[in-house]
Amino acid sequence: MLKAKGKSLFIVMLLVVLSLTACGGGTGNKADQGGKQTIRFATWDSEDNLTLQQELIDKFNEQHPDIQVNLEAYGSDYDTKITAGMGAKDAPDVMYMWNYPTYKDALEPLDPYIEKEGSDFKDNFYDTLWNYNSADDQILGLPVGYTTHVVYYNKDLFDAAGIPYPQDGWTWEDLQADAKKLANDAESISGFAFSGKPDPYDYEMFLWGNGASYVDDQGNLEGNLNSPKSIEVLTMFQNMLKEGYAITTEGSGATEMKSGKVAMFTNGAWSIGSLREAGINFGVVELPKSKDGSAISIVSSSGISMSKESSKKDAAWEFIKFWTSEEANKARIDYELPVLKSVVESENLKNDELKKVFYHMLEMSEKYTPASFKVDNWSEISERLELAFESIFNPSTLMDPKAVLDDAAQ
Amino acid sequence: MEQAAKSYKRARKLAKWTPYLFISPWIVGILLFTVGPLVFSLIMSFFNWPVTSKPKFIGLGNYSKMFTDDPQFYKSLWITLKFAIFYVPLSLGISLILALLITQNVKGVKIFRTIFYLPAVVSGVAVSIIWGWIFNTKYGILNYALSLLGIEGPKWLVDPNSAIISIVIASAWGVGTMMLIFYTNIKGISPDLYESAAIDGAGPFRQFWSITLPLITPTLFFNLITSTISALQQLTLVLLLTNGGPLKSTYFYGLFVYNNAFKHHKLGYASANAWFMFIIILLLTALIFRSSSVWVFYENEVKNKPARGGKGK
Repeated sequence: MLKAKGKSLFIVMLLVVLSLTACGGGTGNKADQGGKQTIRFATWDSEDNLTLQQELIDKFNEQHPDIQVNLEAYGSDYDTKITAGMGAKDAPDVMYMWNYPTYKDALEPLDPYIEKEGSDFKDNFYDTLWNYNSADDQILGLPVGYTTHVVYYNKDLFDAAGIPYPQDGWTWEDLQADAKKLANDAESISGFAFSGKPDPYDYEMFLWGNGASYVDDQGNLEGNLNSPKSIEVLTMFQNMLKEGYAITTEGSGATEMKSGKVAMFTNGAWSIGSLREAGINFGVVELPKSKDGSAISIVSSSGISMSKESSKKDAAWEFIKFWTSEEANKARIDYELPVLKSVVESENLKNDELKKVFYHMLEMSEKYTPASFKVDNWSEISERLELAFESIFNPSTLMDPKAVLDDAAQ
Repeated sequence: MEQAAKSYKRARKLAKWTPYLFISPWIVGILLFTVGPLVFSLIMSFFNWPVTSKPKFIGLGNYSKMFTDDPQFYKSLWITLKFAIFYVPLSLGISLILALLITQNVKGVKIFRTIFYLPAVVSGVAVSIIWGWIFNTKYGILNYALSLLGIEGPKWLVDPNSAIISIVIASAWGVGTMMLIFYTNIKGISPDLYESAAIDGAGPFRQFWSITLPLITPTLFFNLITSTISALQQLTLVLLLTNGGPLKSTYFYGLFVYNNAFKHHKLGYASANAWFMFIIILLLTALIFRSSSVWVFYENEVKNKPARGGKGK
């Protein structure tokens, strides 16, 4: 009897221990050892870039015996995971950031930190970028990388059609004329490709280029989204489809470009690597201008922010400074366009055949603020715009731009 | 003596609890990761919670918004129901036919069994990517195959009218699990029944109608419930294959909830949405259960009833 009792007691203990270990893992991490401050740093990067980031972090950890930075690679669904962390009061101390308006309540304003570093520190970043790393007139992140949008063109297809490559300062009419000549039904080549369901954030630059925008400074859609200038832009894109020398794609058009069946499309710097890999002989050129206007690009920026809830803000700032330093900018140069003027200077990027175009677009695009920074419920408006654009560009609807935009502006 | 009795009692008590202790890891798991979040989401459905800042109590606000102030709610609900109406009978039919086919004694039946079951093993993400390729209007294999037959295929995922059909087709492709459940049931039917039916001159169709079908109604019942539930919860395919498009024609309820939660950061509202779907599923399941007494047939009921009747005086 005693034996049986001993046995069941043992089982009970075993189960208790098992269930405790099953759910109690990973609580011991928070204590900092030996006066060292541990900082959590979340990144959206993966694979190759991650290795590089870890190397940079190792360097930082070596230089700072009192700070230990741990890299947390969230990869895809980064936003969902960051959101969950914030909701659970468990956000990383330092994190990559782009969607400032959405996350502003959980981010630490960085202006006081930046001021302490002196004006030279701030001036070394490109001015355009501060617009994209702030919300409510507060700087919430330091720029890490950026890309403007440009037109990629397939040199071989231009050569085959016997027309000269596009030049900076060209107009939309030039683009359409080229696209008409490049389109070749027999070989199913299209002159120009754009997304049939464009991301409203990216698409706003085409309105800017024509002197329009989605909203005014008060955030009103009415009279802006459906202004004659806006309608003109959407109509122009729709006409390119109707006339048959342009196609819409599911993504940006990069996939179609890689297959060699598309002569031109617009995108950020993201496509350079994959187009090279696909062996496409391509060039990049500034976005075309509108008749009486200018070429303006939206900036897709990546910044680095500090959590408001962080308990180690000074250490976090130390790391943020390192991550945006010249050294780090140079280390990332192969996959990210540096944001520091001094680095662009020292690496002579202004003379780089490809990269200079992106910098030129950046300088021309100063003082523009995307609608997402001006309205509170951008994600809903964005969804509405997406639907509007889709009904204008979807081949089975091809609805009248004016009617659609009037409706969407309500 | 008394001492021994006491310790015996204690041991009995302990023995009574031991099974529960054995399943305790599972219980702890379900409390922590299922019941906990469930209760939490029910509570959150009464709050306005934008995640990045503090939740604010708004009572039934989320529920009233859903019914009175969100046209997308009704649209998504309708799309999902429409999908279920297509998908449930189709998937039941296909899986039953496949199950009947693989019970036949032909050569290589094991290979077919594997092939038919395979889609159930492949991850939803991979399935979505593959179907994305298949449905591609210009380069997809489906329209290529149709063109060989001289048919110009529809613009599957691009045309709002055919997109939902595409989702039905892609979903129905993964009926392997249901097929397997039918298969085990059919295999379990005594061959004697078929033999005597054959002697009485019943053909294959008659055998199916009078023997197989009545005997698999419990499985049909089970599959009906599970496929209804999974149809109403469809998310992976629409998220990855169409993302609600084109023109929101596949903006399923699951996607509606997902976007409210993770795109618009309205976690309280999304919780309310999810609980409403829970109630719908509960009601539908109850309805099917109610109806089951009419059409579901249990073998043991027949065996016992006349026996009992015979005993009574």
